[in-house]
Amino acid sequence: MSGASGGRGGGLGDGEATDAGGATGARWKGVRHPGMVGIALLTFSYVSVLYHVTDVVGGSATMAVVVAGSAVAAAALGRFMRIRTALFVGGALVIGGMGVYVLSVPASSRALFTVGRVVADTVALLTGLSVLRLTNAGVWALAIAPAPVFLSVCLALRGRYGWAVAVGGGALLFFILTGDADSATTLVGVIGAAAAVGFETMNVRGGVAAELDTLAVVVAAMIVLSAVLSVVPGGAAEPLLPDRGVGTVESNVVSSSEEVTVVGSIRLSPKVRFTVESDDPEYWQTGAYNRYTGSQWVRTDTARPYQGRLDGPPGESRPLVQTVTARTEMDALPAAWKPVAVDGRTADTAKVTRQGGLVAGDAVLANESYTVRSEVAQYTEEQLRRSGTDYPGTLGEDYTQLPDSTPDRVRDRAAEVAGDEENAYDKAVAIEEYLESNKGYTLNVEEPDGDVADEFLFEMDAGYCTYFATTMVVMLRAEGVPARFVTGYTPGERVGENEWVVRGLNAHAWVEVYFPDVGWVRFDPTPSDPRVSTESARLDQARQDGEPGVDTNETRRDDDSETPTPTPTETETPDPDETPTPDDGDDGTPNGSDGNASDGIDPNGTGGSDVRTPAFTPAPNDGGGGDPPADDGPSLPSRETLGVWLALLVGLVAGARRVDAAERAYRFFWLRHQRRRETPERDVERAYARLERLLEKRYRPRKPGETPRAYLRALSNVGLDPRAERVGRAYERARYGRGVTREEAETAIDDVDALVRSRGRDGARTGR
Amino acid sequence: MTDAETTDAGISGRTALPVAEAATLARRIAENVERVIVGQRDAIEHILIAILSRGHLLLDDVPGVGKTMLARATARSLDCSFKRVQFTPDLLPSDVTGVNVFNQKTREFEFQPGPVFANVVLGDEINRAPPKTQSALLEAMEETQVTVDGETRPLPDPFTVIATQNDIETGRTYELPMAEIDRFMKKLHLGYPDEASETEMLGRVVGNHPIESLEPVAAVEDLRKAQRTVAAVEVSQPVRSYVTRLAGYTRDHAELGVSPRGSIALLRASQARAVLDEREYVIPDDVQAEATTVLSHRVLAGGAGAGRTVVEDALDSVPVE
Repeated sequence: MSGASGGRGGGLGDGEATDAGGATGARWKGVRHPGMVGIALLTFSYVSVLYHVTDVVGGSATMAVVVAGSAVAAAALGRFMRIRTALFVGGALVIGGMGVYVLSVPASSRALFTVGRVVADTVALLTGLSVLRLTNAGVWALAIAPAPVFLSVCLALRGRYGWAVAVGGGALLFFILTGDADSATTLVGVIGAAAAVGFETMNVRGGVAAELDTLAVVVAAMIVLSAVLSVVPGGAAEPLLPDRGVGTVESNVVSSSEEVTVVGSIRLSPKVRFTVESDDPEYWQTGAYNRYTGSQWVRTDTARPYQGRLDGPPGESRPLVQTVTARTEMDALPAAWKPVAVDGRTADTAKVTRQGGLVAGDAVLANESYTVRSEVAQYTEEQLRRSGTDYPGTLGEDYTQLPDSTPDRVRDRAAEVAGDEENAYDKAVAIEEYLESNKGYTLNVEEPDGDVADEFLFEMDAGYCTYFATTMVVMLRAEGVPARFVTGYTPGERVGENEWVVRGLNAHAWVEVYFPDVGWVRFDPTPSDPRVSTESARLDQARQDGEPGVDTNETRRDDDSETPTPTPTETETPDPDETPTPDDGDDGTPNGSDGNASDGIDPNGTGGSDVRTPAFTPAPNDGGGGDPPADDGPSLPSRETLGVWLALLVGLVAGARRVDAAERAYRFFWLRHQRRRETPERDVERAYARLERLLEKRYRPRKPGETPRAYLRALSNVGLDPRAERVGRAYERARYGRGVTREEAETAIDDVDALVRSRGRDGARTGR
Repeated sequence: MTDAETTDAGISGRTALPVAEAATLARRIAENVERVIVGQRDAIEHILIAILSRGHLLLDDVPGVGKTMLARATARSLDCSFKRVQFTPDLLPSDVTGVNVFNQKTREFEFQPGPVFANVVLGDEINRAPPKTQSALLEAMEETQVTVDGETRPLPDPFTVIATQNDIETGRTYELPMAEIDRFMKKLHLGYPDEASETEMLGRVVGNHPIESLEPVAAVEDLRKAQRTVAAVEVSQPVRSYVTRLAGYTRDHAELGVSPRGSIALLRASQARAVLDEREYVIPDDVQAEATTVLSHRVLAGGAGAGRTVVEDALDSVPVE
């Protein structure tokens, strides 16, 4: 209720300010309405989304000016302007804004603007494509912002709260559909909209206190509404309630392909996802993300259909053919970077992202195979050190984007760690080593509130791959090195000469840095030992628990019964025996030569510069390491969750009271079922009571001083069924006269039964 | 009210008519009266109800709207005796009740019955007579007997007084006290006939006045039986409760509400109304149809017509159960 009182106060404050400005009485009246506060809340909600966009891609100061300017213009003009003119101006602002946006798009892209394309893009936006994925999201946000702000303020000033809410609500709905408005923003907006309409209505009726239960119901409805709305676009990735459940690393980084949200605690899925036949183990990439929002990674621009061979990396490369066989349905196309061709049914629907990766159009079905040909860049450390900063096109700017709100201490720390290094490669190595040696590995983390990189650097001691990769990219970008966040799978368990089994727990996130004339080079800042041991412990546990889908024919060499210990997997670790991979040679032929960039796949003990535990050797005596992820059982919900549930409960109770739910339910059954009583008189009286209840719903209740006969006669003028009058006569005899016979009672009950039944059909016919 | 009772109706006057026959009788009378009185069907029914439920009637109206004609036509249709008393300031009680006259021949006092000894008595402008004279009539109404010089004489059966009041010329009038007004079962306003009825009425009075040719359509004995029919009409507990609550409402919402006598009158009138509707039991509709005319004059509230308003409010807000 503090909102209500605060709302009134705010409304009055507005009014005073306006009055001081010498406004007319009519204006005073318009602003004093507390509904104005609701409009302000609603406006705040969608403007905050736009502001967030400009914060991420730059231009937040301009955004503030644009929004304030629109609001002031609306406040100044709202008094004089007719509604029609205001609508016209609003429309002009939209069209003008779109024009600005189109002009801002590079000429090459503009050529692609066709009606069909624009429609397709709009549909994509409205079905969950984040605004942030627009190439020029900043310009777009600035262009679109003035129209709804101007219109809703204008309309609200003219007292047209309904229209104002429609305009603001439309804007908010748009962002809800694009998935940019999170639950909190949506809740604020919906509360604002409800307050604007509600307060105006209550003003008319008078008395906020009298409507407290209505407010409780409305708030509960808003919570449900916003929760449901925000769940629409993102699917599984979006929370139904603030306290989102513990997902898996895989579902977090791989499944939601257009964006990756950094979440809190996470699990590992031991299920086998796919197998790869490949000459070399590689990181099987599923997505690369260029835009960082502080808590999310977004891939800008829509993917285009795959139409034949793609370009390889700019420098030297070696071909690598992989045949991937899905074990469960997959909506990603894991492949070694950089894919250049794909075969199989998948090729018909595959799409190519702006970032050069492959994404699946249709899901890859279980046991379906596809073949990807990749060109793996070949380079030496020296090459990378000497590659310089001659980035092609706008790549240099695109991949060094950071939100304006990135704290300075992150930049400072990046400069501290890598500022002294002279080239991008050394910077990357320095940062990678810094993170690896200073942060621990855990899957149980509290979801950070602010900027993920900032939180991870300064507030957290440990995290998992998403945190490491995100932070490394942010630090690199702070140092001006183009880098991106990449998701996919580590090579998996080797089960044959060139066959690899990849499980859900192999899902991973890492970093790619761009080097001119070489291309994207992988760095993995996540400490591999604890990660691998956690993964293997999870796998052991899954095997022990007998979870299905954990093993393939190749991997399962022991029966469960024979492997009772938590560390049964020595025999199934082919990695030590299979160390022939050429990527460890000193000549640096494969991309893993530097050791830093390939820690995850270096076989046992033969790593490059760093001596590390092999990635795919299950740590033999680390059985306990994997336990924490397993106990994701029920724990006490957070205070926020309890609060939300409490509000919901209060709302439900108030709502039930408001609509007399119990009584309604009782009446519902009471109306439809009549048990025979001891006397025919009682039966007839009850039949009549049901009839009256029925007529009350369909026409009007009987007035206090109205006799049953007068009531039925009055209703018969509007087409009452004659059976009703028959029941009425029987009732008179039963109640006032000398009683009724059993037959008459039965007739009355049957009549009422028939009337109750016919009600539904009538209702359908008359649309009641 | 069984068939057996109907068949031996001739044996004694103690039997009642079946409801259907009583209703037919009433309808026959009403239609007969209507041959003379145009456009006053409601008033005719009210008079019949008063007669059938042994009540009396107060007509409150301007002169010349047919009060007397209505009373005469009703009496004539019933084959009843009819007397008319014009109340004046110098009218004495004995002028109403009758007087013992010394008969020179028989050397005895002989009772000379006054105009009150008739089945239907019309008391014109009752408020012009002094209270003593008024009370003589009112006592006769209440007791259905007259006491002259210590000797009590019963009045004929049926006995109905139709009194009229003229509210226009209030000079030299004696307003009836509430206690006496209470003795009238109903108080009616005839009002002016509507245009069509008046035109029709004018057409009928040209030449011979139709009242001269009016034939009785009911025997006095039938009327008595019909009265018994009315008295036998069943009044269920919900209806009795409704009547009580209506009376209670007027007591709560006026200076002077309806007396228990008023409640009884309402119940009786409702019984008669039920018979007119060919019913053997009273329903709330009967009560509502009678309440205005039976209760309004018993409620004292504010100015003229306020009693009626209170009764109408009662009808609107007292729930029918």
